[in-house]
Amino acid sequence: MVVNVKKVTPGTEVMLHTKKGDFSCVILESPSPEIILVKLKSGYNIGVKEEDILDLKVIRKKEEKETSKKSKGKEDKKKINNDLPNVVLIATGGTISSRLDYKTGGVKWLSNPQELLKVYPELLKICNISKIEVPFMKASENMDSSDWSKISEVAVKHLNDNKVDGIIITHGTDFLAYSAAALGFSLRNLNKPVVLTYSQRSSDRASSDARLNLVCAARAAVSDIAEVMLVGHGNSNDEFCYALRGSKVRKMHTSRRDTFRPINSKPIAKVYPERIEIISEYKKRNNNKVELKNKFSDKVALVKFYPGQDPEILEHYQAKGYRGVVIEMSGLGHVLTGESKNNWLPKLRKVIREGMIVCAAPQTLYGRLDPWVYSVGRELQSTGIIYLEDILPETALVKLSWVLANIKPINQDKVKEAMLTNMAGEFNSRLTEEEFLN
Amino acid sequence: MEDYEKLGMKCGLEIHQQLDTHKLFCNCQSELRNEEPEFEIKRKLHAIAGETGDVDVAVKFEAGKDREFTYQGYSQNTCLVELDESPPEMINLESLKITLQVALLLNCEVFPATQIMRKTVIDGSNTSGFQRTVLIARNGFVETAYGRVGIDTVALEEDAARIIKQGDDKITYRLDRLGIPLIEIATAPDIKNPEQVKEVALHIGDILRACKVKRGIGTIRQDINISIKGHPRIEIKGFQEPKMMVVIAEKEIERQIKNIKEKNLIKEVRKANPDGTTSFLRPMPGAARMYPETDLPLLNISRDLINGIKANLPKLRSDIKEELKGHGLNDEMINLIVSENKLDELKELIQINSDSSLIAKMLVLWPKEISIKEKISLDEINKKLTLDVLEIILQAINNKKIQKYDVQAVLLDIVKGKSVNEAIKLEKQSNEDLEKEIIKIIKEKPGLNINAYMGLIMARFKGKVSGKEVIEMLNKYVKS
Repeated sequence: MVVNVKKVTPGTEVMLHTKKGDFSCVILESPSPEIILVKLKSGYNIGVKEEDILDLKVIRKKEEKETSKKSKGKEDKKKINNDLPNVVLIATGGTISSRLDYKTGGVKWLSNPQELLKVYPELLKICNISKIEVPFMKASENMDSSDWSKISEVAVKHLNDNKVDGIIITHGTDFLAYSAAALGFSLRNLNKPVVLTYSQRSSDRASSDARLNLVCAARAAVSDIAEVMLVGHGNSNDEFCYALRGSKVRKMHTSRRDTFRPINSKPIAKVYPERIEIISEYKKRNNNKVELKNKFSDKVALVKFYPGQDPEILEHYQAKGYRGVVIEMSGLGHVLTGESKNNWLPKLRKVIREGMIVCAAPQTLYGRLDPWVYSVGRELQSTGIIYLEDILPETALVKLSWVLANIKPINQDKVKEAMLTNMAGEFNSRLTEEEFLN
Repeated sequence: MEDYEKLGMKCGLEIHQQLDTHKLFCNCQSELRNEEPEFEIKRKLHAIAGETGDVDVAVKFEAGKDREFTYQGYSQNTCLVELDESPPEMINLESLKITLQVALLLNCEVFPATQIMRKTVIDGSNTSGFQRTVLIARNGFVETAYGRVGIDTVALEEDAARIIKQGDDKITYRLDRLGIPLIEIATAPDIKNPEQVKEVALHIGDILRACKVKRGIGTIRQDINISIKGHPRIEIKGFQEPKMMVVIAEKEIERQIKNIKEKNLIKEVRKANPDGTTSFLRPMPGAARMYPETDLPLLNISRDLINGIKANLPKLRSDIKEELKGHGLNDEMINLIVSENKLDELKELIQINSDSSLIAKMLVLWPKEISIKEKISLDEINKKLTLDVLEIILQAINNKKIQKYDVQAVLLDIVKGKSVNEAIKLEKQSNEDLEKEIIKIIKEKPGLNINAYMGLIMARFKGKVSGKEVIEMLNKYVKS
């Protein structure tokens, strides 16, 4: 007897009669065609081969969840504590805004970011979350420069609202550092804290790093640090977070909670749930009106130079209408030159002469470029490449994207001047001992 | 003694046994450490809602305490997986195979596909806030003197971190144990009296020991689920010895009789105390604390894998003993071979020389004697007396290079540092030496009878020569 189990709505409680005995269970969504996944009374999920199923008796149909309705009712009654500062939360997606979907076993977005506050009520002891904005819900690897524009637009509205004291942005980790850099350029004359935070473990786990990150993000959002900063675990302990300058931070580990490290810089502060210890200089909270400059060009590319690479890649981008390229150069700022057929010098001269902006950032991440040390550097310098000091390659890309969309008219000199102006703390003129591998 | 049948006693056993492999979801060694920890990590855990949107009662109980957990680690035994800093790696295939062996020996049905689950545990004993566990098989049985007892489930799970120090709001755990593969066997509530509890435990223990499991204190843990008619199920944890089970089960039933009279009926987990009583540990967790491990794919257990394991199931101790009797070994030797786990070696060596008694002595008796006499650890001796070495010695006997009675001396020479080939050769030289010595002694002390010479020679060579050989040689030179 063939029973079409696939027609049974997941969530239905059934008695399955199979060749291998009976199972009192709840039908789950099946991960593969031949296997029916079921939840046993004990809570374990097991797979039954479809061909082994003889009969099925529905015991109870799937109940519509009432919890979501209930929670919606609750959230309208916002408890505002007048003694606490007001913070706006902008949720954009990422692990921190996701939870496990028990039906499919996959991870899905929180249907309602308010849920986060329910999971981490400690946050509300530090500030009121006066509004939750959801411009979009995305995994950060799916974001592009138009998303940086959207976040900036939402942020500026609240930054220029004197009832709001700070902003927390929750974001996926993969490309979080790009967004952090972008906000540093798009929000001119910043007046209040703009805090980006994340989690590496989703909030349905008791061990989620979201708890400490959110609480410390709230602490930073009500501080007097008027910077775009990324707040997250300082080390593997659930003890303190670092507030890291958005233009000088990079994801350095695929899975650790302290994945974000300051590169060529020191943290702005060490943030504990109950206090902040300042580490380096920062811009103070002020009454400026924030100017929104949220245009970004998507005709920019980031190229990592590798041994023997053909410089043809430059012409490829040129032909596709790209206006600028950031090259992650080797060492102090080098690419292949000399007798090789893949000598980059002629092609670099050509594309720059034809109007392309070529910038250099260090492939090593740590340290500053210096084209004067080796003769190859001097030759490259003469082509018109803009050497971007100790900038992070990703920040260089975002900056070039921003500069090309906001500077007029676009010419080599104007762009060079803008690219070398320190706009969001992307350059550090004094690299010190403790700024390496920390 | 109570009439347990009349009371409607229902009792099931849960046995947790560590497997002797690397950890379940990473490649760390499964070994407990006693040195100072190499690093420490501090963490907190918070309550989360389960699949149904409810926070499990047991989870709520733990989450009520805002505690800080300190985790101690060692680079050899702890990687980013135990630190909850990296997703789990694919399930350890060797542990899975061992679990399948146990499941088949328990006559269970194996699931063709099964999902690795997260069981919420927020007392801090798991850095992630959950224990990974996967159901492997169900519906098995064991036979006992009081009748058949069903095996409800066989699961494979990761062991928890172990408590080192417990304060009110701070607990220190050691991560060496976290992630060690643990097989969990749950019997059906078919056990009808306290004696039967012990019998089932011993029977399952016999099956486990036939497979590659860890041995020694703490490597096996038993819980019992027990109730009488009218009382909710009570889980009792923390038995070290099966013999305590009878006492505790008896006392628990007395407690339940009292509870029923006082209408004090709570489902809970209790701890076995050394004096045979129990005390409250935590509320009984429900199914709400189980949810899927989303970092890993569905675990498929193929027919081929099961058939391969079925074809090579290990023999139980009781079966092995029978087999060894067939080889002509006495009970004492059989027990030694089984307890020292030398069965495989014995089988291998019997292929070379059929004298099972000699081989048994080489494997389990003489190494011990050498260890005691020479004050060298048995471990060190076993490292030198490898299977290869023992094979060479047996071949030397087959080739008549040495005699059976030379073996003990050869073993001693090897333990003391000689290579096996040297040790065999030296015995040969000692035959020439023997002859020279005999001539010398006869010259020094002429006119003695053969037994007197014999005594002198044997004293000089201290067991390195056999009496038979000496007599033969003396016969050439001494006329009796």
